Amino acid sequence: MTTPSRWRIVPALVGTTILFGLLAWTSAVPLPFHRSEEARLRLSWTARPDRLEECRILSPAELAKAPEHMRRRVECEGRFASYDLRVEVDGRLAGEAVVRGGGLRHDRPIHVLRELSVTPGTRRIRLSFVRRESVELSTGVDSVIAEADTGLFAGRAERELAERARRRQAAIPPRLELDTTVTIGRRAVALITWDAERKTFELRTAQDRPSPASGSPADHRF
Amino acid sequence: MRLLERPARRSVALLDGLATRAFGTAWNPFHQTGTVAVAMLLVLTVTGLDLVFFYRLAAPYASVVRLQTDPWLGAWIRTLHRYASGLFVAAGALHALRLFAQERSWGPRTLAWISGLVIFGAGLICAWTGYVMVWDTFGERLAREGARLFDALPVLSEPLGRIFAGEQPVPSAFFFVNLFVHIALPLGLGVGLWLHVSRVARPTLLPPRRLLWAIVAALVVGSVVLPASLGPSADPFGLAPSTPSDLLIAWWLPISERLSPGVVWAGGLAAALAAVLVPRFTRRRREASWAPSQVDSRLCTGCDQCTQDCPWEAITMVERDDGRATLLARVDASRCVSCGICAGSCAPMGIGPPGRTGRDQLAPLRDDGLVPPGPTPASVAICCERVPSGHLTALAGLDARIHRVPCVGNLHSSVVELLLRQGAPGVVICGCPPRDCVGREGPKWLEQRLFAGREAELQPRVDRRRIALLTLAPGNRAEAVAAIEAHFRRFAALEPTEPLPAGELGAVCDPVSVEEAVS
Repeated sequence: MTTPSRWRIVPALVGTTILFGLLAWTSAVPLPFHRSEEARLRLSWTARPDRLEECRILSPAELAKAPEHMRRRVECEGRFASYDLRVEVDGRLAGEAVVRGGGLRHDRPIHVLRELSVTPGTRRIRLSFVRRESVELSTGVDSVIAEADTGLFAGRAERELAERARRRQAAIPPRLELDTTVTIGRRAVALITWDAERKTFELRTAQDRPSPASGSPADHRF
Repeated sequence: MRLLERPARRSVALLDGLATRAFGTAWNPFHQTGTVAVAMLLVLTVTGLDLVFFYRLAAPYASVVRLQTDPWLGAWIRTLHRYASGLFVAAGALHALRLFAQERSWGPRTLAWISGLVIFGAGLICAWTGYVMVWDTFGERLAREGARLFDALPVLSEPLGRIFAGEQPVPSAFFFVNLFVHIALPLGLGVGLWLHVSRVARPTLLPPRRLLWAIVAALVVGSVVLPASLGPSADPFGLAPSTPSDLLIAWWLPISERLSPGVVWAGGLAAALAAVLVPRFTRRRREASWAPSQVDSRLCTGCDQCTQDCPWEAITMVERDDGRATLLARVDASRCVSCGICAGSCAPMGIGPPGRTGRDQLAPLRDDGLVPPGPTPASVAICCERVPSGHLTALAGLDARIHRVPCVGNLHSSVVELLLRQGAPGVVICGCPPRDCVGREGPKWLEQRLFAGREAELQPRVDRRRIALLTLAPGNRAEAVAAIEAHFRRFAALEPTEPLPAGELGAVCDPVSVEEAVS
């Protein structure tokens, strides 16, 4: 099939240049992102919530009903605690929320990821993370050391005890506070995170300088 | 949704017109959007294989900076990879728009439409992950937005966004998963592509070789001259005022960032659903011009030509049940798109959509005589119905008879012979660009039937000097009309033909009569 439209070098070059120019331009258009000069306070941490549970010691008769490998000395029922998160910037409430564990049953660790806009400059940040439930944890069950387990199951009671202690140890304390002063630059981010080893909140800045979160104000500049 | 077809048609015609003026019909890249997209997939694969050797999961940005500063095997290949991804998206979107505008998105083409959407969507995700791999401010922005949207789903209890919070360096595992998706998805695209063309015969996967190399060369030269930009490194402790963004890939990003994840998901799902339902809302009743082809078993000689010519593999040959020792063509209505190509391929004129078989094409011409007898009979221009109206208006000003057909690929060669026998000095057949024919192979088969002896061929007794084939497309009106005028002048200069008496036309133009076929 013949075509009356012959290939012509100049229009073709012009067309190619225009099409390619469009392609190159669209591939690197500066799209506005954070137009304002506001800074951000980012809260990000993962922590294990307290377990609120009622425990009881099973009787030897109850234990005997279960297969030997499933005999737990202490049976507990309960739920995980929830926490009030409150952030103040220069004495004014910047954000608050009720924080629960992850998952549909809230039985997973607490994951916090929030960002608050902050005016650049030197700011006093106060953050509190307080357990909402005032229920006392069950006590007394940790003294149970059964002697019945032998053979493969020897030492099971001690292991149960150690496991409960480890879980309590891993949980976030019922009350945590951070009160600090920080100088935040324009379009900068200050991060408040949880140090699980030191069991404190810490403030990090671009220089990644950790900050003690003992409750005493401290200065941060970046 | 069908209300949108007209503006879509106008948009496509506008783009076609501009491109035809620049490149001509044979080189118009907008007629090749599907094959250009596939070609770009190949370019992406080749350049991607090279880039992956230099990419470091532990230091993504640093490795890209190293690439960017290597003028020999780094910067231009990365740029080519990036521009090819943009061209893939643009070509894919234009391809969908073109098919929608040309009413080619429903019925037997539904599988191609849906698989095309999947390929396009997977390509967008691929591009998304590709930009995240770079881990500049734009990559971080895309990753954060992706995490924000994903975190709104009740899938993971730990927000993905914490990866980028700055507590820890972004783990290599994140970049590994990202790279895995970036590489695994194109493997899936191969399956999608196979599905996409599974219902067409002789699928064309690449543009004509010269055009293909011209596009690749233009991209390479452009990549050397205009290297792709690289934004500043991602910084969890900084807020970038702007990011150098790829609009083709992330045009939605500024909108999405302003909306809640629920609204974005709802909008995205609604858009995806609307796209998937296009075949449902654009479908036509399978009647009139959309009726599938039918076979007249009395006329079918079992020659098998229609099965060879059908661009949709909708025709098979089956055993006859009337005792004749030949096969019989059978049309699968679920695969037939009513393109009518089979009507032009059947010498005994025994197949075609209702009202469009060879016999149906001849009947009105025999009865009314398109070329009235006279001392200076006019030439005839046979035009595809899809020829732009502006061209037809211009043609109307010429001393010619215009005969419109649904597609020149439907045209039975006997029609051309009949017109010449009726005294026309010549016949110009005006079709769509070969790579833009809604019947896929109409102009190709027509040319072979008229000039190369393909079955259902124009009889040897017909003077080929009196026939011309032309491509009419938006943007080439002046040239096309001038070419048609030139052909008409050439026809007029030939010695006059001796018109046959009307009574003999039937015998001349029926290669196989009903009686002959039955016997």
